[in-house]
Amino acid sequence: MKRPRILLVDDEVAFANNLLKLLSKRGYDAVVVYNGADAVNMVGEKEFDVIILDMKMPGMDGIATLKEIKKKVPLVEVVILTGHGSIESGIEGMQLGAFDFLMKPVSIDDLQEKVSEAYRRKLIQRERE
Amino acid sequence: MEPEQEVGVSIKQPNPGKKGKERYSKLYRKFIFLTLICSLVPLFLVGWGSYAYYSGFSKIRIMDYFKNQVEHHREIIELFLRERTSDLQLVILTHSPDSLQNPENLRRIFRIMNQGSSFFTDLGLIDDKGNHSAYIGPYALMDKNYSQAFWFKEVMNKGIYISDMFTGFRNAPHFIIAVTRIEGNRKWILRASIDTEYFRSLVENVKIGATGEVYLSNQKGILQTTPRFSGKIMEKAPLPVDFFSEENGIGIYEADNKDPNRRFPRQLVAYTWLENPRWKLVVRQDYSEAFRDANQANRAALIFLHLSLLIILVISVISTRYMIKIIKKGDEETDLLNKQLVQAGKFASLGELSAGVAHEINNPLAIILTESQVMRDTIAEVPSLSLSDEVKTELIASLSQTESQVRRCSLITQNLLKFSRRNKSQRETVNLNAFLEEVIRFMDGKAKGAGIRFALDLKKDIPSFRSDPSLLQQVFINLINNAVDAHEGKPYGTISIGTRTDSRRHGVEITVGDTGSGISPENMEKIFNPFFTTKAVGKGTGLGLSITYSTIKGLGGDISVRSTTGKGTQFNIFLPFSPPDNAHENREEVITPPRSSI
Repeated sequence: MKRPRILLVDDEVAFANNLLKLLSKRGYDAVVVYNGADAVNMVGEKEFDVIILDMKMPGMDGIATLKEIKKKVPLVEVVILTGHGSIESGIEGMQLGAFDFLMKPVSIDDLQEKVSEAYRRKLIQRERE
Repeated sequence: MEPEQEVGVSIKQPNPGKKGKERYSKLYRKFIFLTLICSLVPLFLVGWGSYAYYSGFSKIRIMDYFKNQVEHHREIIELFLRERTSDLQLVILTHSPDSLQNPENLRRIFRIMNQGSSFFTDLGLIDDKGNHSAYIGPYALMDKNYSQAFWFKEVMNKGIYISDMFTGFRNAPHFIIAVTRIEGNRKWILRASIDTEYFRSLVENVKIGATGEVYLSNQKGILQTTPRFSGKIMEKAPLPVDFFSEENGIGIYEADNKDPNRRFPRQLVAYTWLENPRWKLVVRQDYSEAFRDANQANRAALIFLHLSLLIILVISVISTRYMIKIIKKGDEETDLLNKQLVQAGKFASLGELSAGVAHEINNPLAIILTESQVMRDTIAEVPSLSLSDEVKTELIASLSQTESQVRRCSLITQNLLKFSRRNKSQRETVNLNAFLEEVIRFMDGKAKGAGIRFALDLKKDIPSFRSDPSLLQQVFINLINNAVDAHEGKPYGTISIGTRTDSRRHGVEITVGDTGSGISPENMEKIFNPFFTTKAVGKGTGLGLSITYSTIKGLGGDISVRSTTGKGTQFNIFLPFSPPDNAHENREEVITPPRSSI
């Protein structure tokens, strides 16, 4: 299976960079942006399989970003990563078409597993089309 | 999460304080005043009004009756005198003076006249010179000459004459009736004296109560009969002449201090004048006796009036007390509710705070975790030559320790998040058995510390239903806390918790029993009252079971308790599968367990 292309969206620069390092080391083609607006631009420029999206961000928040992304590329799978307490926002995200949500802090193994699951679903859906 | 009892310590019992007490007593006085005004004023008006009206009315009635009596009596006396006069007229007009001069004839006539009753004492025929022509009677009057007597002149002038009482030749009080007849050129007089005893009994024998008396007096105020109490015949009448201002009437006579007859200082007096002779008939009675019946009736009415006043007073005091009690209770409940709201608000803000803290901590934790993983990756990449295996192992152990501590912190933040979520009162789908197990796990530490074990009997067939887990959690933590506290002084005990479906009522029945000290019968009815506690000061607020009760009721359920002193207590809780809608709920959501989380 081809390694999925990943877009990381998180305003916590240190965290995002660390994740980028960890994912790149594990062979993912990962790109990082630090806010929602950049993420929306980025999906327009490049094709991604899975987007890892933080919920609480200054400016455009996770939910708004998710809506925009889904409008542009409906088939991309989004894994919500939230440090925010509210499961509600995670659920709201899922109702908007996110694949699943993970709570911070998250281990790289769990994240990898979730990304793989999401990617598998994307592949299945693409095959159907 | 904090159990209610501990959190509740900050709730203070509503203290009515001096101000509150003053407020209630002020309210009390106001209520009493208003009810009394509203009820007593009309009662007074009606009561006193009718009292005044009826006492006036009855007085008039009694006086009328009195007046009628005296009129009636006058008619009887006048009739008697008229009849006796007619008797004499009949005799003198139907018999010639010659035949009347015959003593035998006159005796026969006298006998016939006295046949019914002995009305007459004597009978005599007198010529125009004033000499007796014939005389029948007990006195020796045959030789008496009456030409100088006052009555002789009167009868010679008027033809008929009824005298006042006088003593005359016989020296005993009597009065006479005389009639005349003209025979040829001579005038003849038939004269009879009326039996004084008979006449007196006719006049006086009218019994009017214990104090009433009747008498006749002439125009000069001389008694013509003997009254029952005051004076004798031919003496001066007891009432002054000037009292009788009118032809006939009725009045109240107030005796002054000089009055020799002060026996009845206040009298009701009715009087009337006879036509012939001009005698005055007087009936009088002690005032208080005359009005005794009316006064008694009035007094009874007054007693009833005052009794009703008293009853109204008592009722208004009782009802006001009751009302104040209700108001007080309402105030206390409002107070409690306010305090609960404050408490709920505290929980909510605490929840928000925890959510904020959790979020702020989660981000650095996430960074630490990823940093540690980056380091792991780095160590793995370093050629084995530059780092000894020993150092590598030590580094990796250190990283593992870091990661495990991060996970520990993460667990804490997750619990905080869970707590904040639970404080938002909302309906969720609850798997009751799993939920109870979670609560029991939470309470296990405390129970074990007190030597208490849990005995569970959770039936498997209980479906998930919608309820408010945060409220339920509070309820069961309360009950279990109380159950643990009930074992104070006992080395060990059991808390048994059971669930079963109640298909008839379409809900679930939960029992929480303990082997503690039980509840005494006198406390039994108070346990759900707010602020009722048997725990030591500072240990319990007395709110736990009250909140439990209102929570269960709010969820559409029911709670009851059975207890045996010294043996233990069992609470039975019923929860419906479909609870009533929660008005405070503004959003609903189904909480599914996260598909994955750390």
